[in-house]
Amino acid sequence: MAEILDLVWECAMALVGTIAFALLFSVPRQYYLWCGLIGGAGWAAYRLLSPFWGRTAAIFCAAALVIFLSRLRAVRERCPVTIFMVAGLFPLVPGAGIYWTVYELVMDNPAAASQRGTEALTDAIAIVLGIIIVFELPQKWFRVLARIGHRSGGSP
Amino acid sequence: MPASQQEKIARRGENVSDQEVCELALYAGHILLESGAELFRVEDTIRRIHAAYGMESDNAFILSNGIFLTAGSTREGLFARVEHIPISSSHLDRVAAVNQLSREISEGKHTVAEARTLLDQIQHSPEKKNLFRILASGIGSGAFCILFGGTIPDALAALIVGALLYVIILYPLRRPMSKIVLNLLCGGFTAGCAVLLVSLGLGENLDAVIGGSIVPLVPGLAFTTGIRDIGNQDYISGSVRMLDALLVIFSVALGVGVTISIIHQLSGGLRG
Repeated sequence: MAEILDLVWECAMALVGTIAFALLFSVPRQYYLWCGLIGGAGWAAYRLLSPFWGRTAAIFCAAALVIFLSRLRAVRERCPVTIFMVAGLFPLVPGAGIYWTVYELVMDNPAAASQRGTEALTDAIAIVLGIIIVFELPQKWFRVLARIGHRSGGSP
Repeated sequence: MPASQQEKIARRGENVSDQEVCELALYAGHILLESGAELFRVEDTIRRIHAAYGMESDNAFILSNGIFLTAGSTREGLFARVEHIPISSSHLDRVAAVNQLSREISEGKHTVAEARTLLDQIQHSPEKKNLFRILASGIGSGAFCILFGGTIPDALAALIVGALLYVIILYPLRRPMSKIVLNLLCGGFTAGCAVLLVSLGLGENLDAVIGGSIVPLVPGLAFTTGIRDIGNQDYISGSVRMLDALLVIFSVALGVGVTISIIHQLSGGLRG
């Protein structure tokens, strides 16, 4: 139970954080909520999958999910997909990992640095693959999906 | 499809030459590129505008910081133009607005003069208020601190550091300076503030506090746009953008690492 609450709390924080960074990137106001939801969904996917598949695979799947949802939303709203994906990917980006790598280098711990560095690098590669692969899916699919969602009374 | 003379005038307005159409397309491309749009979107927009106003041959070569354009039609000769566009800040609202405008132009809703006025409005649309940006930076830092395993006091510390960070970015550091130096300073400032707050007793995990409060410095747009450019085989601009992103990340990390190790050495030990 406590674990579920933890997960919900973290996803809520991912949602809030994503919205805050959407504002810093000057995303138009009407898209804030969707940016936040996509960021939260990405974090939820990462947390739920990482115990089973390990962190790299979980980050890949989470990034893929973020891009997928962003494309879907972009087709529905007829606006550039960048708006949703940039902020949504933020919780997954290994910014802190890179800073720990350099910190360990400065502190003269090459072994720790290479471990941190490898982690950050694999995370980044997972995100890159997630982005590139989901962008290869044909645009047509998203149009169809968006239309189905619309007809079945999905969210406006 | 060659447009007839009447059709052209109806779409463009009276007495509009090919040159003005090109300038309009270039202006739209300029705003897009400057605000952080992907290359293919810039290309696509320029082509749409040309097609909508009856330009028959056009070629645009676009880099992440420049547009080279030639175009012509049967009535007039070729027009060529090169424009340099420096990398600037992220304005996704402008990307969205130009995108919408180019759709409307394709549907034939605007004459050239009208479109130009609209682009002017987009270019000079107001920025977000500094207060909001500072608050957003703080709240975002605090929220991400939790994701990096921080507790609530950690998040409060990250909130303060993140907000202070944007204060120094928006006020004292707002002048043309080397990106490397700027980010070194920002990283150093973040680490210094975080250590100070933690040693004053606000927050326990220095790791999470710093991790959260440097997130506003992560070059997310340059990174994702760079990846998309590379994915679309726009290697030159993709690698320029990736280089930009990596440079920023490493300067921030170096600033943080050096500051912490200096403090470490001065105090002979560090809590957290």
